[in-house]
Amino acid sequence: MELFIEHISKQFKDLKAVDDISLQITPGVWGLLGANGAGKTTLMRMIAGIMKPDSGRILYDGIPINEMKESYRDVFGYLPQEFGFYPEFTVKDYLEYVSVLKGLTPKDSKRKIDELLDQLTLTHVRNKKIVRLSGGMKRRVGIAQALLNEPEILILDEPTSGLDPGERVRFRNQLSEFAHNRIVLISTHIVSDVEYIATQNAVIKDGKLLAKGTTEELVRMVEGNVWTTQIMMEHLQEYERKLQIVNIRNENDGKISIRYLARQPYTDDSLPASPHLEDLYLWLFPQETTERRE
Amino acid sequence: MRLLKLEMKRILKTRLTIILLASALALTFIMAWLPVTFSYNSFIDTNGKTVKLTGLASIEYEKDLQADTAGMVTPEKVRQAAEDYQACLTKYGVEESWDLPEGVFQAEILPYYPLLHGIKEAFADPNTGVAPSIMEIDTEEIDKYYDVCEDRIVSLMKMEQKKYPAAQSRAVSMYNEVKKPYLFFPGYNTDAMDYQILLAFLIVLFCTVIAAPVFTSDYQTGADDILRCTKYGKERFAVTKIVSALLICGISYSICAVTYLILSNSFFGWECTKSSIQMLYSVVNLSDMNIGQLQCFIAVSGLLCILATISFTLYLSSKFKNMVVSLSMALLFCLLPIIIYMVLPDWIGMWIYNILPAGAVGLQASILYAIVDFNFWNIGAIAIWIPHVMIGAYIIEIPLFAFLTICSYSRHKVS
Repeated sequence: MELFIEHISKQFKDLKAVDDISLQITPGVWGLLGANGAGKTTLMRMIAGIMKPDSGRILYDGIPINEMKESYRDVFGYLPQEFGFYPEFTVKDYLEYVSVLKGLTPKDSKRKIDELLDQLTLTHVRNKKIVRLSGGMKRRVGIAQALLNEPEILILDEPTSGLDPGERVRFRNQLSEFAHNRIVLISTHIVSDVEYIATQNAVIKDGKLLAKGTTEELVRMVEGNVWTTQIMMEHLQEYERKLQIVNIRNENDGKISIRYLARQPYTDDSLPASPHLEDLYLWLFPQETTERRE
Repeated sequence: MRLLKLEMKRILKTRLTIILLASALALTFIMAWLPVTFSYNSFIDTNGKTVKLTGLASIEYEKDLQADTAGMVTPEKVRQAAEDYQACLTKYGVEESWDLPEGVFQAEILPYYPLLHGIKEAFADPNTGVAPSIMEIDTEEIDKYYDVCEDRIVSLMKMEQKKYPAAQSRAVSMYNEVKKPYLFFPGYNTDAMDYQILLAFLIVLFCTVIAAPVFTSDYQTGADDILRCTKYGKERFAVTKIVSALLICGISYSICAVTYLILSNSFFGWECTKSSIQMLYSVVNLSDMNIGQLQCFIAVSGLLCILATISFTLYLSSKFKNMVVSLSMALLFCLLPIIIYMVLPDWIGMWIYNILPAGAVGLQASILYAIVDFNFWNIGAIAIWIPHVMIGAYIIEIPLFAFLTICSYSRHKVS
């Protein structure tokens, strides 16, 4: 089982959203990392077949997906970034509707819906209109519909937005379990969502594939560039202007501990820190650090 | 089938659909009743007081008063009516009925007046088309009333379709097939036919509002991104959506149209449906139908028109990504036959509004007026009667736009 993205590009007017990306996706959880506007959603839409690439092609087990048509969609599950639903539908109605579109028999449909509602703790709201659910619950309904046909390829665009930490952890665990012998591609800018479960990651920036590999391999890219040091609280603003600070922790005596990214230590007492995937992400997307601070 | 059931359930559960369908049903009752309220009669009672009647009472009064006119409209009955009319006006020394003293028309002419419908038209000058007054008609000639009518259609068509002999001969042969003598039953009001068209027009608008978001709303909300990624999310899904919209609109219209006809005919009397349409519209009308058949013809044309309009609306819906644009365009096309009828010159406008999906219910441009008129589509030596053109256009448009919708939806890509 292999999904092969072959030199695909997509241009919107003067913006090159995806620029000649090639990627061989094998079974397991894949994290697709990139800042907002990096081209993740465009790439996922092309994999989903709802957007046509300007050039290049996507093959599933050697067959172009646009030639596979129904048979590709039969093994496919997709949760877009914006979960659109019919406001008049209850959770159960909606899942039943999608299950019919996915070709499930009435018996399988009922069994699968019950199972997913239970797994995603939605059973108590099964007869509630989706429009009345909280953001997190809506997102879980979106995840449930994507899993209905037990897809071989599961594409989730920002699946955890709106989920609380507990739900996030539960979801990650369910996904790890589900990914056995399947391709699961998760697009996110929340690094912790994929850090521990992704077997492979792909990082894209400005429509280009910057790096790919396991979390350990990618983390090695920022090795020697992550530092920690303690500074006085009143100097923080000055440090923030000069350094890419990724974490701040209050200490005693008016001091704070900062974690920053730099090629060289800024102060003599800076100590090297072991890098995480988030450090790589922020190293590659420095504007995200600024946004976080704002 | 499961998907169709779920899709229909979905559409029928939306608040807008419920409100529109309930409004359509409520309008059906109102529209059926309104023409009844237009019936008006007055008479002077035994105490010399003027009694004014409206609504059902007026209809009943008219039926009783004109009971002798009911049945076959033989030349003898028409001649007798004309002679009585002439005698009455002579007695009062007037040339036109409106010059009669108050109450005389109601008492002496109204009882047989329907039989005089079309008599002036039948005896119109063959060269100028100018109709004589009833006083000028030689009543002996009325013995050959239907021969006069046959001559009249020949002269009329020579004026109406001067350059098109094929249309002239087609009209004459159509009229020759009309059953004669005509039948007439008093009490009916042609306003009821106009309101049947108006109701169909309003239902077309309602159904357009229901159908316009079918695809567009999914594009706009992003629901489509998920649905089209499913196994049956393309052609089959498009077909299901089309069928469900057509079924909902078609069934809703049928319920309203049937309810309207039941109510209207119950108010006016079912026997009125047996009247020849020549006794209510042109005396030389080309179609061999009675009022009941005309009502059914309009109802069926209305159904085809609604299905064609919805099919076209769904096509627009599959094309546009913005609901406001999709709905505005769809409503514009519903109103287009009326606009074209008003602004474009004769034959160009006629060619266009006859084939537009919403043409049959386009009020003045509607199929009712096409039936009561004498227009043809002239293509070389072929002349096609306009109502047939309209019906033919809808029969082509329903599957054509449905097919185009499927293609458009299946090929749709997000941008």
